Amino acid sequence: MSTLTVEHVARIEGHGTISVQVDSGVVTDIHMDIVEPARLFEAMVVGRRFDEAPLITSRICGICSPNHAVTSIKALESALGIEVSERTRLLRSLLLYGSYLQNHATHLYLFAAPDYVGQPSVFPLAASHPDVVKRALHLKKLGNELTTAVGGRPVHPITAVIGGFTAEPHAREIEALAGRLHAAAADAAETAALFSSFDVPEFATAGEMLAMHSESDYAVYDGEVCALDGGWCRPADEYHDFVTETVVSHSNAKHSTVDGRTFLVGALARVNLSWDQLLPSARLVASKSGLRPVSRNSFLNNLSQAVELVDAAERCALLCEQILEGEGSSKPVSYNVRAGSGTASTEAPRGTLYHTLALDDDGFITAGNVITPTAQNLANLEADMRQFAPTVAHLPEAEFVLAIEQLVRAYDPCLSCAVH
Amino acid sequence: MAASVAIISLASDFGCQVQMTNMEDHLLDVLAQFDLAYWQLASSGHLPETYDVAVIEGAVTTEEHVETLKRVREIASSVIVIGACAVSGGIPGLAAGSDLEPKVGCVYGDDGDIVACGRISPMPVDAVIDVDYRVLGCPIHPAEFVEVLQRALMGLSDNAPQEPLCASCKVAENTCFYDGGQICLGLVTRTGCGARCVSHGRPCTGCRGIAEDANLASARAIVTSYGMSPAAFDQALELYSTCQEAIR
Repeated sequence: MSTLTVEHVARIEGHGTISVQVDSGVVTDIHMDIVEPARLFEAMVVGRRFDEAPLITSRICGICSPNHAVTSIKALESALGIEVSERTRLLRSLLLYGSYLQNHATHLYLFAAPDYVGQPSVFPLAASHPDVVKRALHLKKLGNELTTAVGGRPVHPITAVIGGFTAEPHAREIEALAGRLHAAAADAAETAALFSSFDVPEFATAGEMLAMHSESDYAVYDGEVCALDGGWCRPADEYHDFVTETVVSHSNAKHSTVDGRTFLVGALARVNLSWDQLLPSARLVASKSGLRPVSRNSFLNNLSQAVELVDAAERCALLCEQILEGEGSSKPVSYNVRAGSGTASTEAPRGTLYHTLALDDDGFITAGNVITPTAQNLANLEADMRQFAPTVAHLPEAEFVLAIEQLVRAYDPCLSCAVH
Repeated sequence: MAASVAIISLASDFGCQVQMTNMEDHLLDVLAQFDLAYWQLASSGHLPETYDVAVIEGAVTTEEHVETLKRVREIASSVIVIGACAVSGGIPGLAAGSDLEPKVGCVYGDDGDIVACGRISPMPVDAVIDVDYRVLGCPIHPAEFVEVLQRALMGLSDNAPQEPLCASCKVAENTCFYDGGQICLGLVTRTGCGARCVSHGRPCTGCRGIAEDANLASARAIVTSYGMSPAAFDQALELYSTCQEAIR
């Protein structure tokens, strides 16, 4: 019996090791080992002033920092009974979508695409496929500009606070962005065409799929949490009752189950659950690319992200127009500090993110709990790896490893988030 | 021959590495200046045995990190640390201290002892090895990273500004938070960020670390003179500087 390991798997955020046990050419076991110790964020927020909590949890992840900040803000607003203005909600949606553009463009082009063109990174493509690299950087830059306009900078937003925003972008800035976002939908559609041209294995995950859902909107800022197979929807603040977390010995990130099954969160789950809420242009691109609900192929999470890029570009342009035409203020509303506890969720680019925060009468945090998308996905990723590995075990070692890495990267895992 | 650069991350949110890619118009030009020896976030491959410049992101939180850094120092002629985690311990430093066990229990409940060990109290990189260049901030700014990288490639000395933020804020014509009764750490925090947070309506939270020229006693006296508590000022400073001698 031998063990094959891939340490510090490349082109993902965070540190993880794939370990495969092989006995006489047969894969007997396969693990995703999360080697980085817990970063102790749930302990670090305790004793800090409540309004520092969103700043601290934002540092869980460099890519989805707007999601961590906004989710903590929503949890604290729930604890303090704060209602925010419609304008604040629109600006927050825009901020979260900025991280979709940034995350999906980065993941698809910098992390995932090299697997399908036989390159170690995207950089060699700058010479052979300059248009592709230009498009990648253009989409990524637009996401950053959106986050910067609304949040003050691309990573770790400044302006989003409890009750509203401390600063707003100028109208002419929003207007310029709206035009560029409309135009970027074509680049996003090209991205979907590129990813639908890549061969992906025939595969169907056995896991459940979970995502936030709302009848009126593609749920990113608000919505209930729905289960695809289970057919149920529940308020996000009941997540303690439906998500079960367990500690496993080979991973510093916990594993999660729902209704006794592993499950998948992220773009594929969202597209399956909220197909009807995608904008028509995104549904058309999805259909043309061969992505239709219900799809159970975990590898198509990449293509689902590309479809979400189309949706996000169009939707952000519409959000910009709503903000330009809308009245009202995003100035932080006033509130009183009191003891309480609140739970909130948002859809981060990689899936549903839950935060719970409790504070005392003096405004100091007494408890925190965070469940990240990747922590929810890990058990399902491992189940997929166990199911998929025997089907590629006959390949030469380098090709076998690449096939497994392709599956891992299709999940767009953020191990930094997972070991928060 | 172009210098070779290895980009290595310890415990972090990868945000500063993301910022390194967030200069889309110049990324390819910057990469063309050196041989990329290793960058786990962007490219397949293994950390090689030789390289000229090491770029380190993240705080030191395990025995393995300590061993990695010692090896890096033996190999690299220049070590650049990027971001508050690596420079000052940053947010991970909030967990610093001898009482790690209850914090681990806070995350894993009673099952804390079954997950991997080797954890140590968080610290900045310069607590383990000598550091040649520092790119400050949480997150770093891409342009500042490029400037420091160029200094390292050309063998120039580090020239990070050492004075506190207040003067930059005056230049930016910001209203002082103290006039509105809010604590701001710009009094003692290293400048160079262009007062980005204050200009966006948020007080400085000290992500660039305590300036060498800072006068903490005088800052506390100012806080008191505005009717606020120096203890609250000190607690705010812990956010990024728990690991720093100056506030212990």
